[in-house]
Amino acid sequence: MKAGVRTPSHPDAPPERRADVALEFANVGCRFAVAGRTTYPALEGVSFTVTRGEFCAVVGPTGGGKSTLLNLAAGLLRPSAGQVMAFGQPVDGINRSAAYLFQQDVLLPWKTALENVMLGLLLRRRPLGEAQAEAHRWLARVGLAGFETRYPHQLSGGMRKRVALAQSLIVGPEILLMDEPFSALDVQTRELMENDLLTIWQEERKTVVFVTHDLEEAIALSDRVLVLSAGPGARVIGSHPVTLPRPRDVTEVRLHPAFVDVYRAIWQGLRGEVLRAYATRTPGRAEAPRA
Amino acid sequence: MSGRFRLLPYQVGVFAALVVLWQTMTQEKWVDPFFFSQPTAIAQRVAQWFVSGSIYRHLWATALETVLAFLAGAGLGVLFGFAFARSPAVSGIFDPYLKIANALPRVVLAPIFTLWFGLGVLSKVAFGVTLVFFIVFFNTYQGIREVDASLLNNTRMLGASERDLVRHVLFPSALVWILSSLHTSVGLALVGAVVGEYLGAGRGLGYVIAQAEGTFDTTGVFAGMTVLAGFTLAIDFIVTMIERRLLSWKPAVSQTARV
Repeated sequence: MKAGVRTPSHPDAPPERRADVALEFANVGCRFAVAGRTTYPALEGVSFTVTRGEFCAVVGPTGGGKSTLLNLAAGLLRPSAGQVMAFGQPVDGINRSAAYLFQQDVLLPWKTALENVMLGLLLRRRPLGEAQAEAHRWLARVGLAGFETRYPHQLSGGMRKRVALAQSLIVGPEILLMDEPFSALDVQTRELMENDLLTIWQEERKTVVFVTHDLEEAIALSDRVLVLSAGPGARVIGSHPVTLPRPRDVTEVRLHPAFVDVYRAIWQGLRGEVLRAYATRTPGRAEAPRA
Repeated sequence: MSGRFRLLPYQVGVFAALVVLWQTMTQEKWVDPFFFSQPTAIAQRVAQWFVSGSIYRHLWATALETVLAFLAGAGLGVLFGFAFARSPAVSGIFDPYLKIANALPRVVLAPIFTLWFGLGVLSKVAFGVTLVFFIVFFNTYQGIREVDASLLNNTRMLGASERDLVRHVLFPSALVWILSSLHTSVGLALVGAVVGEYLGAGRGLGYVIAQAEGTFDTTGVFAGMTVLAGFTLAIDFIVTMIERRLLSWKPAVSQTARV
């Protein structure tokens, strides 16, 4: 795996930081207040690092704190214990080196596709003409040239995801956080999107943290799969490198013999957690609060 | 479009039947025209007002009061709506007072406004503001509270400051709610103006009606009501145009449920 060649944009960073680590969780715990005085521990003692330029997938049972993990990396949540670091700097407030692709539809419905894509640039006080030109380029890049003036409700679910992807990438983030971004799409659209994502990633070499409950998707896309245990108090219980050749086609790669081996290895650990998550989730019990 | 106009003949028919019935009943003296006037007399009076031009200064006064009352009421409503939605302390302290103020029948304020602001435009505007304010306030408040948290988080991740959030997310979101109540709030601004004029003024449609009533001029009262109805329809039409322009991004049919 090739390390990123771009110099980090943190001139005031201490010299001793490790340049190749994009994201680091050091013994991170996160608790939520639940009705009354009790707290729900979503994460407990989570430690891992993501290398610069690495495509890292995180799998785990539903309600296992995967979204919490991303929200911590994004700086939308603060850890109750431990520390989250981005490029050697503790994440304090919004993580400015990261972009976030949400599971939900988060395009602003009152802005056109173009206006949505250029929003990040305008918020960074870039001139309008420049932002527009850049947004045109990015829309073309995600295959939506000609849809600039459409409003989100005039686009299909897959197209909205493409706009959201362009919206996140236009600001040039170092880290891309993705929370089951394609889970609402139909299978065909989803595979197209996954391939496009890989193409863009291949060109841009962003660091990606991709959360999913779909193990096949995780393996097909990533360099490494982290396995989270079932909540409460989810931890990282496995880290599996995926050495399938690149560039990949997500449909083809599933037929690769090594794919099955990796799948089997990861599933062995994951299966118990899924069953545990299923068993502990009795009806009527409150689910882990989502951030 | 064809569906909209399909019922037009029937709608016109109902109107024609009512007018003919009214005309016949008064002409044949089944009812006293002194109390009920006559469609022909009313039409004549309205035409005479417009030909002589005497009605225009009244129309202008009512229009001015309506617009000013709407703008001031909506402006205050948005301001307070934002303050309440964004600050739990503000909403906590002022909530009971707002409830009391909203429960008060606003007509009782008209005399005090006349004392404070005189018989001119200002007292009508003040009265209209008390009516418009609450509609816009509640809708702004609701609009901001209903904003999807993930919409805010996404915009934050793109680099938005709190002020950017207001401009790009909170205000447009509240605007949807404010605009959905636009017909009601503009209507109330007009009610404020006309009732204010009726209770004491030197010009305006409410004043015209009150004057006619004072001289037992039933034709004048009905003619004033006719002009007022036409005026209301015109304003409603303008509001619809504005609404259509500002909400052009919305799906034409009712919005599909968001998951």
